[in-house]
Amino acid sequence: MVSVINTVDTSHEDMIHDAQMDYYGTRLATCSSDRSVKIFDVKNGGQILVADLRGHEGPVWQVGWAHPMYGNMVASCSYDRKVIIWKEENGTWDKMYEYTGHDSSVNSLCWAPHEFGLILTCGSSDGAISLLTHTGDGQWEVKKISNAHTIGCNAVSWAPAVLPGSLVDQPSGQKPNYIKRFVSGGCDNLVKLWKEEDGQWKEDQKLEAHSDWVRDVAWAPSIGLPTSTIASCSQDGRVFIWTCDDPAGNAWTHKLLHKFSDVVWHVSWSITGNILAVSGGDNKVSLWKENVDGQWVCISDVNKGQGAVSGITEGQQNEQ
Amino acid sequence: MKLKEINRTAIQAWSPAKQHPIYLAAGTSAQQLDATFSTNASLEIFELDLADSTLDMKSCGTFSSAHRYHKLIWGGHGNEDDGLTSGVLVAGGENGNIILYNPSKIIAGEEDVVIGQIDKHTGPVRALDFNPFQSNLVASGANESEIYIWDLNNFKTPMTPGSKSQPPEDISCVAWNRQVQHILASANPSGRAVVWDLRKNEPILKVSDHSNRMHCSGLAWHPDVATQMAVASEDDRMPVIQMWDLRFATSPLRVLENHTRGILAIAWSLADSELLLSCGKDNRILCWNPNTGEVVYELPTATQWCFDIQWCPRNPAVLSAAAFDGRISIYSLMGGNVDEQRQRQADSISSSFGNLDPFGTGQALPPLQLPQTTAQPSAVLPLKKPPKWVRRPVGATFAFGGKLVTFENMKPQHQQQAGPFQVLVSQVVTETELLSRSNQLQSTVHSGDFVAFCQLKVDNAQTDFERNMWGFLKVNFEKDSRHKYLELLGYQPEELAEKVAPDDSEQETETGFHTTDVDGLIKQALLTGNFEGAVDLCLHDNRMADAIILAIAGGQDLLAKTQKKYFAKSNSKITRLIDAVVTRDWPEIVQSCDLQNWKEALAALLTYARPDEFAALCDLLGSRLESEDDSSLQAQACLCYICAGNVEKLVACWDKAQGGSSPLALQDLIEKVVVLRKAIELRQGTNNNGVGDVLAEKMSQYANLLAAQGSLLAALSYLPIDTSQVKIMHLRDRLFRAQGEQALGQQSAPFPDQMQQVTRGRDGTPGPSFAPGQNQQQATTQQYYPQGEAPPPAGFIQQGFPNPSGQVLPQPSAAPAYSMYSQASTPYQPQQYPQGAGRPTLYQPHQPIAPPPPSSYPSSYLPSAPSHSTAPPYPAPSQASPPIPGPASPFPPSLSGASYQHGGPGAPASSSGYALPTGPTGTSLWPAGWSLARGPQNGWNDPPALSRMPKKKIVPGNYTPPAPITAPIMNPMADPQVQMQQQLPQASAHLPLQASFQQHPSQQVHHNPYQAIPQTGIQPTLQTPKHSSEEAPGAPTGDIMQPVQPLTTEKIAKKPIPEEHAVLKTTFEGLIQRCMTAAGDPQTKRKLDDANKRLESLYDKLRDQVLSPTIIGGLHSIARSIETHNYAEGLNIHTHIVSTSNFSEISAFMPVLKVVLTLANKLGV
Repeated sequence: MVSVINTVDTSHEDMIHDAQMDYYGTRLATCSSDRSVKIFDVKNGGQILVADLRGHEGPVWQVGWAHPMYGNMVASCSYDRKVIIWKEENGTWDKMYEYTGHDSSVNSLCWAPHEFGLILTCGSSDGAISLLTHTGDGQWEVKKISNAHTIGCNAVSWAPAVLPGSLVDQPSGQKPNYIKRFVSGGCDNLVKLWKEEDGQWKEDQKLEAHSDWVRDVAWAPSIGLPTSTIASCSQDGRVFIWTCDDPAGNAWTHKLLHKFSDVVWHVSWSITGNILAVSGGDNKVSLWKENVDGQWVCISDVNKGQGAVSGITEGQQNEQ
Repeated sequence: MKLKEINRTAIQAWSPAKQHPIYLAAGTSAQQLDATFSTNASLEIFELDLADSTLDMKSCGTFSSAHRYHKLIWGGHGNEDDGLTSGVLVAGGENGNIILYNPSKIIAGEEDVVIGQIDKHTGPVRALDFNPFQSNLVASGANESEIYIWDLNNFKTPMTPGSKSQPPEDISCVAWNRQVQHILASANPSGRAVVWDLRKNEPILKVSDHSNRMHCSGLAWHPDVATQMAVASEDDRMPVIQMWDLRFATSPLRVLENHTRGILAIAWSLADSELLLSCGKDNRILCWNPNTGEVVYELPTATQWCFDIQWCPRNPAVLSAAAFDGRISIYSLMGGNVDEQRQRQADSISSSFGNLDPFGTGQALPPLQLPQTTAQPSAVLPLKKPPKWVRRPVGATFAFGGKLVTFENMKPQHQQQAGPFQVLVSQVVTETELLSRSNQLQSTVHSGDFVAFCQLKVDNAQTDFERNMWGFLKVNFEKDSRHKYLELLGYQPEELAEKVAPDDSEQETETGFHTTDVDGLIKQALLTGNFEGAVDLCLHDNRMADAIILAIAGGQDLLAKTQKKYFAKSNSKITRLIDAVVTRDWPEIVQSCDLQNWKEALAALLTYARPDEFAALCDLLGSRLESEDDSSLQAQACLCYICAGNVEKLVACWDKAQGGSSPLALQDLIEKVVVLRKAIELRQGTNNNGVGDVLAEKMSQYANLLAAQGSLLAALSYLPIDTSQVKIMHLRDRLFRAQGEQALGQQSAPFPDQMQQVTRGRDGTPGPSFAPGQNQQQATTQQYYPQGEAPPPAGFIQQGFPNPSGQVLPQPSAAPAYSMYSQASTPYQPQQYPQGAGRPTLYQPHQPIAPPPPSSYPSSYLPSAPSHSTAPPYPAPSQASPPIPGPASPFPPSLSGASYQHGGPGAPASSSGYALPTGPTGTSLWPAGWSLARGPQNGWNDPPALSRMPKKKIVPGNYTPPAPITAPIMNPMADPQVQMQQQLPQASAHLPLQASFQQHPSQQVHHNPYQAIPQTGIQPTLQTPKHSSEEAPGAPTGDIMQPVQPLTTEKIAKKPIPEEHAVLKTTFEGLIQRCMTAAGDPQTKRKLDDANKRLESLYDKLRDQVLSPTIIGGLHSIARSIETHNYAEGLNIHTHIVSTSNFSEISAFMPVLKVVLTLANKLGV
């Protein structure tokens, strides 16, 4: 069951390219081709414009909230090749940092899990991926993976902070030894996994299945199982679910979720990691869930935000 | 940015859009001799491999051709059946020939790559185009105004679009309309474009301006607008592109002027109609927005004329340009950095010199310093205008609480009307059953009607095991739970008693009469006072009873010895039980019993075990069952844990037995857990059973699940409060805040903490993990404040922040978040704990403790908030809460004299008065770790503590077990009621201490009106259960003394007894009524009352119609005998039923019936 509980009229003057809620689901950040980033307070179905952030000189593609332990911060990336980190202090939003290290449109950004510190990853059409790490004194240390995806990286998504092979939290008090990983997708049709080793970022895996630009990738939140799951979607209309049970993270297999008739722009996991929202070029959003047999079934088509969740059987699904 | 390079002077064609991987075909150009002046020709296919970062294109196949080409096109015609997996290449040759190639064969390296060839045209075939709608149709143009339409399925005789235009001219371009499939345009160098309608078979329009200087070199239809086309001019005097709309064909719609010399080719992007490429004799490649006339991009390229330019159909950012300098270049429009490319190039050149020492001089080449020229910036800028294909038009992203944020944008052509640009927030609910069950559970928790809830579960149970579980859980809420457990296990104390009693007397009578030869010897021994000898003789003669009786006379030692010998000698099964009963060695029994007999073992425990050991023993039994291989036994362990009240183990066991983390399975578990916890709370009078890791994990899983369905408030209520698990505290905080203002008066989240300060270089400590440093810094800020005279509660520390109004704003902004996360990260930061760490700052304990209710922050919501500043003597609420996570205290505030230090291990228990107000000293005694473990605030829905003393804690010392029904020897019976009286004073002795904890919440009321609301709201419902805590749990004899529980609520919901059996109820109830009237002593009355109540189970069975016909028949016979007052007969029938039926089926009511019948007989009613 999908029911609209709030309609936010953004007053953007051009296409909206991203809309993200904060950690608590009470504030909304939007960005648009009109070059602005807007922050709304949407508590209890309301909509109060908190900030209208100007600073980009091109369409703003994505916004992302940092974890609240670092304060109220939103990062935005734009066609103007810039990444801007905005921060609220004393109720006022301001530009806190501007990164201009990319040579082309910055298409995607993703904050690392807060356990790793304040790290922002950006993927650009120049093919590179940047990692900006806040070093505590207002400085940001930049690491760059050049030529990560030829002619452009379209999406980046961090792996959840889980310890390899551990289901339970590390006993408190000791610094857990997390492995930092993220996934990226690009115009080379590839999905790539990156891993930090000795402070250096290295290509860990190259996942090939798509036959056209990978439009988005999303690493599923950890649901306590040792399996890693990634969703990727592409210009070719396909959405793949990649899984890896291997603790070393080497044996990835993929399963086709569905082949859509149009480009698939965006995939997003629910917080609990069991539902995938797929947004396609036909302006359709559908929700998918894995059934007990391991098959992915569409449980809802969301049109204009409305939809009924149903248990579509496999047979019906195949007909679609 | 240049991606690839092919060193050929060739014309090119990209593979069609559906082709993957992407290929580029290059055919030797007829127009230009290459440097070698070779007349050889070839058709070569390259693969565009973007994963390869070099400039090289991988050649996939070459075909040596006899022809040179003027035009090459690649269409998607054909399919696998034709062997045309990669479509068809169509080439226009020099001598009027059109040749069809099979590219997949070229790639495969096969010979017969030519599908067909027809030399029908006159002169060179310069113009070719595939119809975008019917891939089998190809238009071609050559000299003499020849235009042909070819059907590749019947590649023999072409058709013409109409009569040749006059005068005869060379056709330089043909192009199919992108919207209407039967419209074709052609153009010739003399400057005219002609539009043909194939249905009419004639030209419908001639497009030409009046200048007559247009020399058409390029022609392209608008990808989206059917009536628009672009025509490029090769004439240096007029190097323009004209945009025409056929509806106004008198003059061009727009003229694109920027080239300085003639334009050689144009290409319109199919992916974005706002991008039109043109290349000219001025060596430039421009990208236009043809809809505005603006140049949006100029490729930083060519040093030579480009004579052909093509968009890659599949990869919209990629284009290829063929130049007269002998190479085809592949570019990306998205910009990028060429530094690395250059470096690679330099490297590869260096490497071909070998070891960087090309001349063997022993000297390596100096490292190459690339000149940084401004003319050639390393960063290649992208298009000024973002192409359509990067503009994401739609998105749907999940947010916390099962919310889905979606937006969509109309297709660009409708965009003008599209606004307003909206974002929709939707609630996604996928687990409706879970939600409804959760609601049911919630309402049960609120109403406190757990019995009905359990009964409902029993009634709806799908499996026996499930039914059993719920039965056990239900019993928890009834009086005398242990007794009822026994019944559920199929044992009836009275029954047993009755069975056992006659045996006893028999035994006794036997002793008097038996005489044997040994008698003489025994007599002798007795007469000589040799008890030991006599006992030995008896034992030897297997006269156990004699031996025991003699041993009793012989004193304690002898008795013990005798018992031991007896048990050693006797091997019957029952002996073990008797042994255990006598020696009270229940651990031994539990340890060693055959697990198939777990029921008996549990029954024995229920009957005999002392409360203080009962739980442990049940646990033990449960653990044994759990470790068994037999999965059915494993499951039964759950029952033991229910009896033991061990929620933690129940969860673990359930988890193991049931497995699966499906939402409904979790719901199943949580229902049981909630009910059991409630039961324990009632039974023990306290909720001191903390939440263990396993349970905490499950609870938070469940909370997460509920949260994901948008049920935030419910989710919040399940989260254990007294946990130190960071994850749970985070979730708690998140849930709390997610509810915005709705929850403010209802729930206080733990407000642990600090957040990491991220600033614009204002302060800070270097290092990758800046958290500790930052914390410290923050902590200092914080400490200054508290160290003032009036230490404010941790929650108010934020007043020290630069906050304009001095108060926290309603937005859940920096300050609260700040406090949240310092707590959250405390586990990683031991220095937060002053004890041991020796930190100088006394006030630090605030940080880890720090769970003041958030409602106290926003002063705008809190009328009384300002009172904080005026009420310094009050201890920090944050500290008040941990000791007992209980809500309002029933104790008068005057009791609050006891100080907080009670809670602290090692703190003087006797200290009194407001210790805290003394400030830092007082608080420094507060053990941070301790308070953390206890957890912060109480949730509105958490099991409350009320004033119930943790009796169980106090009792064990002097508690004596109840009289077992089999009346074991040597049991100094203690009346439970007397015991209770003994305990009470003792308990009250503890009261002052406890009161100090309890007092705080009420004190908090001063501070925080919001917190008071849930407390008062909840309290009344909890009063009832309080009574039950008066009873010592588990005393079987206590049962008889108890008043009949009001079962009315339960009755209401019940089904009617089937009519034919209603007579049973009336008869039995009538009989009991008569007995009541006749009975004189209150004890009998009570017995009858109890019987009346117990017969309810019979009626239940009747209602459910689960009794076998034999039993029903028997019952009716009994009823008839009652009618006739023939109770003796009734008893006979009773005995018959009992002996012939399944005991467990009837155990709940038959013994009672017997009691009633016996009484009736005795009373003669």
